[in-house]
Amino acid sequence: MMRTGWRDHDWQLLHTAPQSPTLHMALDEVLTHEVGIGHRPPTLRIWEWAAPAVVIGRFQSLRNEVDAEAAQRHGIEVVRRISGGGAMFIEPGNTITYSIYAPLSLITGLSFQEAYAFMDAWVIEALGELGIRAWYQPLNDITSEGGKIAGAAQAHRGGAVLHHVTMAYDIDATKMLDVLRIGREKLSDKGTTSAAKRVDPLRRQTGLPREAVIQRMIDTFRRLHGLAHDDLRADELVRAEALARSKFGSVAWLNDVA
Amino acid sequence: MHGEYKMPGGKLVVIDLDVRDGRLANVQLSGDFFLEPDSALRTIDAAMEGLSTETDEVGLAGTIRDALAPDVMMYGISPEAIAAAVRRALQAEHAA
Repeated sequence: MMRTGWRDHDWQLLHTAPQSPTLHMALDEVLTHEVGIGHRPPTLRIWEWAAPAVVIGRFQSLRNEVDAEAAQRHGIEVVRRISGGGAMFIEPGNTITYSIYAPLSLITGLSFQEAYAFMDAWVIEALGELGIRAWYQPLNDITSEGGKIAGAAQAHRGGAVLHHVTMAYDIDATKMLDVLRIGREKLSDKGTTSAAKRVDPLRRQTGLPREAVIQRMIDTFRRLHGLAHDDLRADELVRAEALARSKFGSVAWLNDVA
Repeated sequence: MHGEYKMPGGKLVVIDLDVRDGRLANVQLSGDFFLEPDSALRTIDAAMEGLSTETDEVGLAGTIRDALAPDVMMYGISPEAIAAAVRRALQAEHAA
């Protein structure tokens, strides 16, 4: 497969009204597929959350990762995504989440480690423009002197790569630690776990409203790679809504790794 | 029975299993690693099912490696890390 560059593609931006956690999971599956079969140009999607959620990785054990009783008590929905990686604790307004759907040709020949850093180089640059010296911390974190900022995950489907990232804008660490189970073994290597790593959220680091950080990221992506505004197609939304109900809202999928 | 192993520079590898008649049963691999394609998770679980609890780490890792198609990609996890988590799960049982 011939390697392509960012500018070889006609990048589209999706940034819609808040959507439910299960619909976000479904949109990632549908849009990755659409880009993989060439029905949709490569796309950057900025997520807006309609409800709080814990998003666990494709291979994480539900009972090992989540205190279901605490999640219920806090009114937090637990969903499983299609990519690997660790649990994310989401409250609307507290995170900045985005997905990139790209042809595999964009990362052909790169190691996993290189592919993660490559897909987020534009974010590192945007953070620099906001005065934050940030860098990629293998395997899949964006970090800064103050602490971790974001976690990334990739999944390959057909001819496409899904690369999605959740950044901490603000955080209720007490509630997060109430809902997520943090194991001791996880602490042995680096002293922290994905969710509990010393996080230094973007609000503290920039003093800017969340919307201003997102606008800076969009502007930087557009300057570096080109970016046109787009809307979800009606058929994409219909298929994602069906999948949100039949798969991502199902007990079978949530418990796929019990 | 439950064992966890944090691969140096990698991810958390978790094994939950039972022992039946000296053999591994209901083996479940989990963790925050990356695996392509995702169906490889079930392949790994199935490969360990029924192995003797006496199987050493080299034997466990070899069995897992042999079960996986050449196109399976692992990031933050390895057959050796899975084997280490299995041995820890079994040791936890002996210690209990």
